[in-house]
Amino acid sequence: MQIHIHRDGKTAGPYSLEQVRQMLATGQVQANDLAHHAGLASWTLLSQVLSAVTPPPIPTAPAASASRDDGPRDMEFAVECRPDFAFLTVQVPAGQTLKVEASAMATMSSNMVMKTKMRGGLSRFLTGESLFLNEFTAGGGPGEIGIAPGSPGDLEHVHLNGDTIFLQSSGFVASGMGVQVDSKWQGFKGFFSGEALFLIRCTGQGDLWFNTFGAMIPIDVTGDYVVDTGHIVAFTEGLQYEIGRIGGLKSLFFSGEGLVCRFRGQGRVWIQTRQLPSFAWWTYPFRPTKD
Amino acid sequence: MHATLEGGAAFAYIKAELQPGESIVAESDAMSSMSADLTMKAKFNGFAKGLLGGESFFVNHFTNNTSGARQLTLVQGSPGSIRQVQLQGETICLQPGAYIASTPDVKIGTRWAGFASAFAREGFFKLTASGTGTLWYGAYGGLLERMVDGECIVDTSHLVAYEPQLKLKIQMAGGIFSSLFGGEGFVTRIEGRGKIIIQTRSLDGLANWLNPKL
Repeated sequence: MQIHIHRDGKTAGPYSLEQVRQMLATGQVQANDLAHHAGLASWTLLSQVLSAVTPPPIPTAPAASASRDDGPRDMEFAVECRPDFAFLTVQVPAGQTLKVEASAMATMSSNMVMKTKMRGGLSRFLTGESLFLNEFTAGGGPGEIGIAPGSPGDLEHVHLNGDTIFLQSSGFVASGMGVQVDSKWQGFKGFFSGEALFLIRCTGQGDLWFNTFGAMIPIDVTGDYVVDTGHIVAFTEGLQYEIGRIGGLKSLFFSGEGLVCRFRGQGRVWIQTRQLPSFAWWTYPFRPTKD
Repeated sequence: MHATLEGGAAFAYIKAELQPGESIVAESDAMSSMSADLTMKAKFNGFAKGLLGGESFFVNHFTNNTSGARQLTLVQGSPGSIRQVQLQGETICLQPGAYIASTPDVKIGTRWAGFASAFAREGFFKLTASGTGTLWYGAYGGLLERMVDGECIVDTSHLVAYEPQLKLKIQMAGGIFSSLFGGEGFVTRIEGRGKIIIQTRSLDGLANWLNPKL
């Protein structure tokens, strides 16, 4: 990297990154001097230029998330602003179509054509999930679409190859057309906790993206694993699951731990570190009310 | 002036150090803490910006009249990211609510945005920042830069800032059916060549996600 420094109307350089760091240490340049290098749109504070190229002190988390998207895929994509406000950008090849959660489109090229599809039936009403799914087709050439989920949190990509993944009802973000998206009525198994477990069944061939509220933790299950129903984001088919109480009747009412899902077998579960009912409960007393 | 952005992507804030004689202009509720001997003056911001541009009627001028360096921290109301831009004579257009602060040589003005903009709840006027100096703006979510070359469509609630040569047109996302039921509502068609800044979350999206549970 070749850096130019601008101060008091004079431009100096180019210097290497190492030289600039040394000059900064010896006071020859200041953090609030203006700096420029190829790829920067305008003169920028040197402190910003350096912080942009300085690796974060603990690189484990970003490095892990960067490699998360390296798996097989049909469409090229990128996830930015992880983990707080993850944003998905998909490159849609000419003539191909992407299914996207209603109202999640944030940006798109002008050749993307949008069509609204209703899916499911009565069960869609019952899940409380948006009834509509938009289909975006790249007409007359490749297109790009940027997708912003509603909740703050992370995004995950899986490539389905004839296998099946179950998603909690608000987890669906986008998928290729080869993925069938069905809602699956789960009954009132979770009735007592107010956390009825509604699932979307995604099966077939192609890309699938889903999102969380909070950070995302993938867990490889071998044997038994217990997850609070509100924290389930997704799990692979083949895992047996059973909704139940943890502890006795007393625990149900007094421990604050309502119903849990007990997974059994071999597979993967994705969990989220926050859940909507708890968040709603936390904000509820501060809701403005009309007398 | 030395200023850095701290607090990460979710709760960004501006940490500024003012040298003797330096000033910062900031939105009326942006100051969260400061050295006690910084001088603060509220100034009238103009009716267009206040009434129609979605900004406050008053802005605060913070000036260091002491002989040493003084601290100032500035914040925005929503969770999310902040950007710091070094203006060198160019102009940036900001969506209502995005402006946080600027150095005194940055000129903040208004520009007619059109009736369609007001109809889409984005206000009659756009804010413009021009001149030489530092500008800070922010929004709910992360902030991403995108290059437009030709034409592009942005959900109106996700647009934060754009270069002035770009032409904006507010329109419906699809047909009547899609616009009513597809949840996309109004979108902005952007034409020309230049940079736009988008926010990776929107308040509308948050409300749609949260409201069924309240």
